[in-house]
Amino acid sequence: MNGFSEFLELHPLFSWLYELLKSTGLQDPWLRVTHYSILGSMMFGVLSLIALFLVWWERKIAAHIQQRFGPMRHGWHGWYQTIMDAIKLLQKEDVKIALRDKPVFFWAPIVCFVAAFCVYVVMPFGEGLIVADLNIGILYVLAITTWTVISLLMAGWGSNNKYALLGGMRSAAQIVSYEVPMAVSILTPILFVGSLSMNDIVLSQTGPIYNWFVFRLPFGPIAFLTFIIAGTAEANRTPFDIPEAEQELVSGYNVEYSGMKFAMFFLAEFVNMFTIAAVAVTVFFGGWNGFQFLPSWLWFLGKTLLIVLLLMLFRWTYPRLRVDQLMMFAWKFLVPVTFVNLIIAGLFKHLGWYW
Amino acid sequence: MGVIKDLKNLIAGLGITGKHLGTHAITVQYPEQRDKIPERSRGIVVLLSDKETGELNCTACQLCMRACPTGAIVVEFERDENKRKVLTNFTLDNTICCFCGLCEESCNFSALKLAQKYEFSTIGKEELVWDMHKLQEVGRDVPYEDKRKKKKAAPKKPTPKPTEKKPEEEKKPQQTKEEVEAQAEKKAKPVDKPVDKMEPKPEPEKEKPATEDNQPGEKPKAGEEPTEQTGGKTEQAGDDSKDDTKKEGSD
Repeated sequence: MNGFSEFLELHPLFSWLYELLKSTGLQDPWLRVTHYSILGSMMFGVLSLIALFLVWWERKIAAHIQQRFGPMRHGWHGWYQTIMDAIKLLQKEDVKIALRDKPVFFWAPIVCFVAAFCVYVVMPFGEGLIVADLNIGILYVLAITTWTVISLLMAGWGSNNKYALLGGMRSAAQIVSYEVPMAVSILTPILFVGSLSMNDIVLSQTGPIYNWFVFRLPFGPIAFLTFIIAGTAEANRTPFDIPEAEQELVSGYNVEYSGMKFAMFFLAEFVNMFTIAAVAVTVFFGGWNGFQFLPSWLWFLGKTLLIVLLLMLFRWTYPRLRVDQLMMFAWKFLVPVTFVNLIIAGLFKHLGWYW
Repeated sequence: MGVIKDLKNLIAGLGITGKHLGTHAITVQYPEQRDKIPERSRGIVVLLSDKETGELNCTACQLCMRACPTGAIVVEFERDENKRKVLTNFTLDNTICCFCGLCEESCNFSALKLAQKYEFSTIGKEELVWDMHKLQEVGRDVPYEDKRKKKKAAPKKPTPKPTEKKPEEEKKPQQTKEEVEAQAEKKAKPVDKPVDKMEPKPEPEKEKPATEDNQPGEKPKAGEEPTEQTGGKTEQAGDDSKDDTKKEGSD
């Protein structure tokens, strides 16, 4: 059993790739560059598949919550429906409105797409399955996810459309507000780790299951709750989806986009959701830590998909907040709660009640 | 403490959606699965055939044609040498049929019915105008209650009636007897035979092109027919219906 799960581990693949590149006689800067770029493109491919899967999964879950079937026509329960959708979107005409701000309009989806995928450079998918273990990992994640704001603002401005601009402005206001509680609630576990590296965060939660940060009462669950609320807002998902509120702004910042550019926004949205879930798992649910019988990357994937399921349930359960309610909730409730939580955690640490 | 209460409500909401996630979908996957259609639902109008002989039950009395509020039904007939009506064509325009079922109500011979079938979409509008052969084909497997059986038995009674009608009435049972004999022969032979032996079929097919040619200008014709022939036809039809009522009365 133990040997089997070790056999399924993927990190030997990474070192084997490194050795292979070394044997070709590449010198160090180029060796590292090729190694990282190959790993990066592997990560990109895997994440694209995950994003396509998530689109399908979201549609199925939405359907079954409403007692429908959802996509059923392509393959078993429509499993390759999203692949067909992506092919359709790639074939469609890229409509360019005449009065757009040309460079801004062009770069917005690319920035959004790249920002969504860049996070995964520091994401520990499994034991040793990490592209680059930066010593400021979690800070890097917080910094990169904020790029989304810039891309959405760019999309809103470049479209020369008042709905799009309103969507972009709203998303900027929202993400900047929710960045604060999100960062502070991540800071709570970091206090105990003593390192910003993602690998160290995961390693500090090894051992029995009560080492996971969610189970450190009383501040653990509160930090997780505030993080998941702020993360939902960060990923522009439904209780907080005012940047693309269909009933108010036609479709928000991406009204004027079509074809492949729209597909980039769309996929980036789902990758962002996966990012939030992955960060939540890494920081609060022990990352790839699990029991022996499954390989570490499967533990990570399973936990992340469970958190994604929770986010999807949020989306299909709760109605959207108004803009002022959203701001009030962020600044008058979440920020104080997270700061008080951080202070309590600091007290516990100082008194030595937790390690 | 309000926060905890709100949190409880939020979690209760998640529980409700989660419960629905577990229950099975109620969607009917249409082409693969179908809902059971209620027995008395009104679908396409079809012509019914006799269960034994396989011939149409229609006697060309034109009651359905007159009952039809939209004029979707056109019944054409000829007189044979015995002055009996022979149905030459029965056209149903599905584009203007409103599925009210008045034709079915007016029919005394179980000749047509609004079947439970509802799938008859076509590519062209012209294909929705069905002639008697198409209507018969569609109605071949439609179960129905035969209202005529009383009348089949009725002519056997030697009812003293005005001399004019005697030849007709005498011939009817004779014909039916012949048919029955023919059937007895057919029953020994393969089942396909009755369909082949439907001799009237080729004849209307010869006439069909003519009627089809008429169809483009159908509307004016439909208007013309009553004006030209109503004088004769309606009177005759009226006679027939009177005969029927008399028979019923005598029964």
